[in-house]
Amino acid sequence: MTVIGGLRRLWETDPRRDPTTLTYTLLAIGAVVVPLLAAATGGGYLVGQIADAGVFVLLAIGLNVVVGFAGLLDLGYAAFFAIGAYMYAELASPYLEAMGIHGGIHLPFWILLFVGMFVAAGFGALLGAPTLRLRGDYLAIVTLGFGEIVPRVVRNLGTLTNGVNGISAVDPPEVPAWISGPWSGDPFKIVTDLKVTDAVGYYLIMVVLVTVCVVLVNNLYRSRIGRAWMAVREDEVAAAAMGVNTVRIKLLAFAIGASLSGFGGAFYASKLAYVSPGNFSFLVSVTILVMVVLGGMGNIPGVIVGSLVIYYILYNFLPDLPGHLTDMANAFGFSGLLQQSGDWPGLAEEASRLKFLVFGSILVATMLLRPQGLMPSRVREQELQKGTHEDTTIEDVGAATGAE
Amino acid sequence: MQRSWLLTVLAAGSVVAGACASGGTGGGASAAPSGGAATGGASKGEIIIASDLPVSGADASDGIPTQNGVQFAVESTGTLKGFKLTWKGFDDTVNGAHDPQKGAQNVQQMLNDNKILGMVGPFNSNVAAAEIPVGNRGSLAMVSPSNTNDCLTKPDFGGKPCTDPNPKNLRPAGGNNYFRIAAADSFQGPAMADYAYDTLKLTKVAVWSDNEIFGKGVADTFQAEFIKKGGQVVVRQDFDTKVTNDWKPFLTDAKSKGAMGVYAGATSGTKACIPRAQMAGIIDGPYMTPDGGVNSQCIKDAGSNAASMYGTVAGANAEQNPDAKATVDAFKAKFTKKDDLGSYTFMAYDCAKIIIDAIGRAIDANGGNMPSRQQVVTALGQTKNLKLTTGTYTFDANGDPTTPTMSIFQTKSGDWAFIKQFGVGGS
Amino acid sequence: MEQPIAAGRAAPVRFRGLASSRPLNALLLLIVVVVALLLLTRVWGRGPGYFAQILVYGFANGSIYALIAIGYTMVYGIIELINFAHGDVFTLGGFVALALLPMFGVTESQRDTPGVILPLLATLVISMLFCGVVNVLIERIAYRPLRHAPRLAPLITAVGMSFVLEGIMFLWRGPFFLHFPDLLPSARISIGPETSVGVKELTVFAIAIVLTVVLSLFIERTKLGKAMRATAQDRDAAQLMGIDINTTIALTFFIGAALAGAGGMIFGLYFNSLSFDLGFSAGLFAFTAAVFGGIGNIYGAAIGGLVIGMVQSFSDGYFDSTWTQVVIFAVLILVLVFRPTGILGMRVPEK
Repeated sequence: MTVIGGLRRLWETDPRRDPTTLTYTLLAIGAVVVPLLAAATGGGYLVGQIADAGVFVLLAIGLNVVVGFAGLLDLGYAAFFAIGAYMYAELASPYLEAMGIHGGIHLPFWILLFVGMFVAAGFGALLGAPTLRLRGDYLAIVTLGFGEIVPRVVRNLGTLTNGVNGISAVDPPEVPAWISGPWSGDPFKIVTDLKVTDAVGYYLIMVVLVTVCVVLVNNLYRSRIGRAWMAVREDEVAAAAMGVNTVRIKLLAFAIGASLSGFGGAFYASKLAYVSPGNFSFLVSVTILVMVVLGGMGNIPGVIVGSLVIYYILYNFLPDLPGHLTDMANAFGFSGLLQQSGDWPGLAEEASRLKFLVFGSILVATMLLRPQGLMPSRVREQELQKGTHEDTTIEDVGAATGAE
Repeated sequence: MQRSWLLTVLAAGSVVAGACASGGTGGGASAAPSGGAATGGASKGEIIIASDLPVSGADASDGIPTQNGVQFAVESTGTLKGFKLTWKGFDDTVNGAHDPQKGAQNVQQMLNDNKILGMVGPFNSNVAAAEIPVGNRGSLAMVSPSNTNDCLTKPDFGGKPCTDPNPKNLRPAGGNNYFRIAAADSFQGPAMADYAYDTLKLTKVAVWSDNEIFGKGVADTFQAEFIKKGGQVVVRQDFDTKVTNDWKPFLTDAKSKGAMGVYAGATSGTKACIPRAQMAGIIDGPYMTPDGGVNSQCIKDAGSNAASMYGTVAGANAEQNPDAKATVDAFKAKFTKKDDLGSYTFMAYDCAKIIIDAIGRAIDANGGNMPSRQQVVTALGQTKNLKLTTGTYTFDANGDPTTPTMSIFQTKSGDWAFIKQFGVGGS
Repeated sequence: MEQPIAAGRAAPVRFRGLASSRPLNALLLLIVVVVALLLLTRVWGRGPGYFAQILVYGFANGSIYALIAIGYTMVYGIIELINFAHGDVFTLGGFVALALLPMFGVTESQRDTPGVILPLLATLVISMLFCGVVNVLIERIAYRPLRHAPRLAPLITAVGMSFVLEGIMFLWRGPFFLHFPDLLPSARISIGPETSVGVKELTVFAIAIVLTVVLSLFIERTKLGKAMRATAQDRDAAQLMGIDINTTIALTFFIGAALAGAGGMIFGLYFNSLSFDLGFSAGLFAFTAAVFGGIGNIYGAAIGGLVIGMVQSFSDGYFDSTWTQVVIFAVLILVLVFRPTGILGMRVPEK
């Protein structure tokens, strides 16, 4: 289909009746306009940040497959992120020189992206196979345990992973061909095997990766597998009775979620040029969970918006808050608040500590007030709403929602 | 294929965006030389000196006094050859402890700002190992006041070639952009080992480390020197301090093997002095830390057992230098609290001054225009006999100071007190 | 209610067969045997004095885990919710005690004087009450409205509440390792060339035992205790019998949190350091202990706590402390996968 066809289709559908189309359109426009605006104001900084946010969008889309589509709470999602990132760092950096391989190993970026995907999916299946029979809350704890074990094992493996110190000097992404021209201050020619080290390059690669993943996951959701996920989420017993192989379908959700995480991990390692076990703590898993829950479990555009909002809060709003509050306190004559006294560490330091409270409050408030998230998935909305209003016991809800 | 239009739109959009955006920002760092072309007039523009230090959380007791030194140096200089000098601080802590990943992100952000021509920091060696490659690809001048791990700069450490990290691998673009003024761990560990054996008269000690590049390295060199002197290291253990609360089994083990004191290869951010509080009633002897423990957080952590702790600082004490008195007094007039001044405040002050000096020479070399980052790095490498508050600095080919200094401190009535300082060989 | 249970048993049969199949069990057994043998050789190598010393530390660690695990197991037993915030209530107990002690004018210099006993007891009681009230509020705000929602919902709010509590403590005292005053007597009773029992360890152990015994008496002998047991067995039937379900659940949360709060203060007194995120791993380990002992079983939780405490000190003492957490998390996964009903526990019907 051509661009014109796409535009006509957009014209024919009434976006007000289809929030999904509207969101995608706005996101696509944003993906083009924001970097243009940033470039106009000389903000390579902002473009770099959006590229970072893209990693979280990838992760949130992946976790959405597990939590939103299949209804399995995975609290150790960062473990797969770590596996993808470390896999990339080991195979595309001088680090393995420490193991006696001269110069280390430097495999190409694009191949490793997919290797990271499959390795993470393999680990997902490995963890999932024995644990997916567990009830939901036990499964959550097992995944949490796995999520805690992976970074700790990485910390302790010593020379294989370089322990707490992490692996540095990781190769940047490389594109097979690129057109350079006056816009980058070079003569007009085709460059091959260009190492991408600037913010715009990262941004472009990120947009391509996110687009590919969105299309893939969307198609999966609309397929037989997607419907089976939904059936398992709503009532596993009924789904099994209808002939769905629940084991395989849950395992698939787990593995696909993990693979997107590994994919994101490889890109993340190449962008940051560094990995360490500290990057993959429980806090990261919860950050991604907050993105999915806030955006709306099960709804891809919602999850994308949710992850952008959370990323903004986490990396722009909260870090800048101490400075803004300090300015405000000075302007309004409350500069006394800035001084440290006793347990009060000063306004700026206090503001820098808000992260945990903000995360917790978002999770609790969303689940209590709007369990369907900012942008609900229609199917999911019914299920979550029904649960809170009908006077049934926990056990009955499974049967009730399954019956409709 | 209901939504395949989306793919088309996005793909088309991103190509357009990329082409135009490349035009605007000019590919980040590589465009730095052209950045200065348009400047001129009375004020030729702004040059930013950044700092990357752990300024919140448990490391803040080291990071804030150090950052004060940078801020003071930049702000008291004000202008340089027609350019306005400003300082911009970055924080590399995450949840209260220094974090290499955050450090690498900070350096990437610095590279995206063409006005930033140099940075002071980082404070911790593992953060440095993550930051040097990022800075190296963008030719950012980095000068650290306190990094001491040998392998950040030197090709070998303790007689063995460096593999963890390998200084050559830390510089993927070639050339050197990283300099430091502190004495390396191959001096810091042995300095305390000598002091423990000769002055404190210890013959059996227990050694632990936080397993980080710095902590483990300094613990290893302490151990080697102590054994060489004729002492015994009865227990040696490396901890994951993020999760360890209980040092009692380690201390009990050490006690049962006759340890008279304990050496901690760690920093306050990695619980350097928490075991000191747990030592009460188990081992009654001195407790020794490297520079990462010589701060107020450490004394708080040690609680009622804070007496008779010893620490090394890998630099000179500016307050012992009569020529620096005016600068020290001016600093104290501006930063009045006791905690504002730490063991690395003036080392950081000197780092900022070294960068300013190099930028000045780079401006001259560029005909009075805004120099490129590479020109600053080149000028920095040529720093020679620059007399500052903590010593006179010349860099060798690796980026190390040619005449480093080491000082020793002891806790006295709830504070760290200076004991002595001495030059430690040249390299 | 009947139908899902019955069907739930029928459906995953094949899957259970996979996990408990013979090769996997054999592999598990092999790993356990190898680790046990390795441990045995190390224990042999270090002699009995050191072994006894590690055992003493294990009891002290385990007592603290036991106090947390009991609250976990009670809450899970009654509403089948993993109260993630429970570990943070434990930390809160330590934080409250740390703030209260100076108010009573207690300083570290008073150690080894009898003057500290009364303020310490008062602090213990107040922090227990405080934590109890906080936990009841958590239940009221975050869990009760979702009692009939799909299971995922309260689980997510539980994670959220855990972060809210950590966030409050983070705002209050920052990310620092807080020094908790060293107030318990430092005297140690030597019982061998390499072994000594500190008054500290004895105190920790004694408090844990007293609280556990009082609790079990309460549950077995009082009317309220009976109501709790009834609610745990069948909530609807209990309601029909005239038991106020909401009060009973609130009471369970209160008691569980009070024990955890006591655990927090004891942790502070014993290790002399606290940090805001302590409860995360401590809570998870306590949950492991609760599952290990059979979830819903109070004695099981106490014993499970001791076992986890022992695992921790043996791993610290004979292997490498950097691997301790990995070992405990591995125990967690293995227990959940292979013995979700616990080592001691009776078979709890899977709902």
